[in-house]
Amino acid sequence: MSFLVRLAFKNLFRHRLRTVVSIGAIAFSVMVVVFARGYVTGMVHSVTADHIQYNSGHIKIVQEEYYRQERLLPLNHSVDGLGEGGLDEMIGKLEELDGVNMVIPRLKFGAMVSTGDELLTLGGWGVNPELELAFTDIEDSLVEGRMIQPGRLEVVMGTKLLDKIDRRVGDKVTVVFNTAFNSLSGVTFEIVGRLKSGLKLLNEAVFLLPLDEAQRLLYMDDQVTELLLVTEDVGKIEEVLPKIKALLSEDGRYLALSYRETSDLIPFMDLAELIYNQVYFFLVVLACVIVVNTMIMIVAERTKEIGMMAALGLERRGIMELFLIEGGIMGVVGSLLGAMAGWLITSYFAEAGLDFTQAMAGIDADVPFNAIIYPSASLGNTVFAFLLGVVIVTLACLIPARRAANLEPTVAMRGA
Amino acid sequence: MALLELKGVTKVYQQGKIEVPALRGIDLTVEAGEFTTLFGPSGSGKTTLLNLVGCLDKPTGGTILFDGQDLAALSKKELAMIRREHIGFIFQSYNLIPVLTAYENVEFAIRLVNKHSDREIKDKVMGILAAVGLEGLENRRPNELSGGQKQRVAIARALVKEPKLVLADEPSANLDSKTSEEVLAVMAKMNRELGTTFIFSTHDPLVMDYARRLLEIRDGVITLDRRRDEAIVSH
Repeated sequence: MSFLVRLAFKNLFRHRLRTVVSIGAIAFSVMVVVFARGYVTGMVHSVTADHIQYNSGHIKIVQEEYYRQERLLPLNHSVDGLGEGGLDEMIGKLEELDGVNMVIPRLKFGAMVSTGDELLTLGGWGVNPELELAFTDIEDSLVEGRMIQPGRLEVVMGTKLLDKIDRRVGDKVTVVFNTAFNSLSGVTFEIVGRLKSGLKLLNEAVFLLPLDEAQRLLYMDDQVTELLLVTEDVGKIEEVLPKIKALLSEDGRYLALSYRETSDLIPFMDLAELIYNQVYFFLVVLACVIVVNTMIMIVAERTKEIGMMAALGLERRGIMELFLIEGGIMGVVGSLLGAMAGWLITSYFAEAGLDFTQAMAGIDADVPFNAIIYPSASLGNTVFAFLLGVVIVTLACLIPARRAANLEPTVAMRGA
Repeated sequence: MALLELKGVTKVYQQGKIEVPALRGIDLTVEAGEFTTLFGPSGSGKTTLLNLVGCLDKPTGGTILFDGQDLAALSKKELAMIRREHIGFIFQSYNLIPVLTAYENVEFAIRLVNKHSDREIKDKVMGILAAVGLEGLENRRPNELSGGQKQRVAIARALVKEPKLVLADEPSANLDSKTSEEVLAVMAKMNRELGTTFIFSTHDPLVMDYARRLLEIRDGVITLDRRRDEAIVSH
């Protein structure tokens, strides 16, 4: 170990409390960076994952006209195959494309349920239960009962929705809806499962029923409102999308949209991530003020000593090195402690989640924002925060280090 | 060849708009191996002169030759190199690094020279500590040493790199007379055994007793230059 490193290390023990306070400030800011970054990353992942799972897949195929009126859930602009071929043939062709792993059909329609006093408007989702279980995390949200099965008049509903209509798993519920021919129809279903999700959409705004039953009841055999495509991974979307567009071009009615094109929220999340990265930087800079203040005090206290070292022949560079090493050690120790603490806290909340259900009660169910946020505890994030702490603290110490190095030995030895 | 040659050396400090002359034309030659005391009242220019010959400051006028080398022509880096390799300093308040042991304080000076292996450094540091009478106290920190012991560490630190010149600014100012005598005896012994040149600045008559050459400085001028075995030379 170099003599200067040894000396710098020993110097940290001159005023232990001061060193501890400085290291503590760095540790705290790095810990906050690890947690805040994990939190924001977790939130972005959650918004993206929910959007992909419950709205768009990696690529969404809809009729162009349907896309324009999507909020109204129209049934007259359905996906019903390419040209003369039917829906199954279309799905088959899509599945054959290189890079496409799964094609998920959904039939979404508007419906109403009576609570006794009022009518609740809902979204009905006709789905293939097997594919939904394979692609989404809905199984984790299914807290009671079971998933719907094809060919049966049964539904799965969210906890809040069941509370509103005062039903339980095992009860019957009558749902009123418009068919594709615009005739009003009412059907009674058995409630076979209860969902509990941080996603308001699943909890209180939609119910799931088997796709084949939805097609039959709505008079939409061999039709769905959308097809969601799942690629091998998100990175393959740009590669797969042109092939799909080429396939769809033979029909001319359909749009193929990547998940980013169908979300208003994801671009804002990306922007927020960029802004937060700057916030993390300033957070560590703030902690550096304490360290720089400590270092300036140290330089003032050790002026005579610096003069003596310069007199003995330690050059300007050596004096700078000594103070940078001292600051660097504080930066490394503080950042390491902060990164470890941040990682532990983030890991805990990554399991337990942070529940904002109450705070988000007023947010529209259409906004795919999960009220339970699971921060993302990643090694990359922890290492990033550690390095950010070390680099910024060491750079900040340049100010007092230069101050020390610029002292003239004769002036310094007088203690000026 | 003389170790130090000063010709017409002046030093003027600027205090705002006022020029304060500290040295007014010093002519002085110091041969290698001399044991010289510089005395005079406070503000007479003793410390300024030590700073100039110690390569810590540059003169306003005149020339200083150190071992034949004109100091005025050297950069700060080159002056630092001369201090590191050829000049030892002993300060009035010891100026030891409090977090380092006696051994490490001495080691610091020789590490700066960067010419020796770890083994050589250990031998030299232990040897010089033994020579100044600090055997067995190597691992003590300055706060565990008496004033005399601290000054011995400072002497060892100045001598460990075997410099050509040792400058001591009031080395006995903080010591009682018994301890002063012990410390001076150590320095006199080093002067005899190693042939190191010593220049002291002092008010202490005891230090003057030990010196073989006395230089009195008043108002920036050398007013007395007396060698023990020579007649008084008045300037």
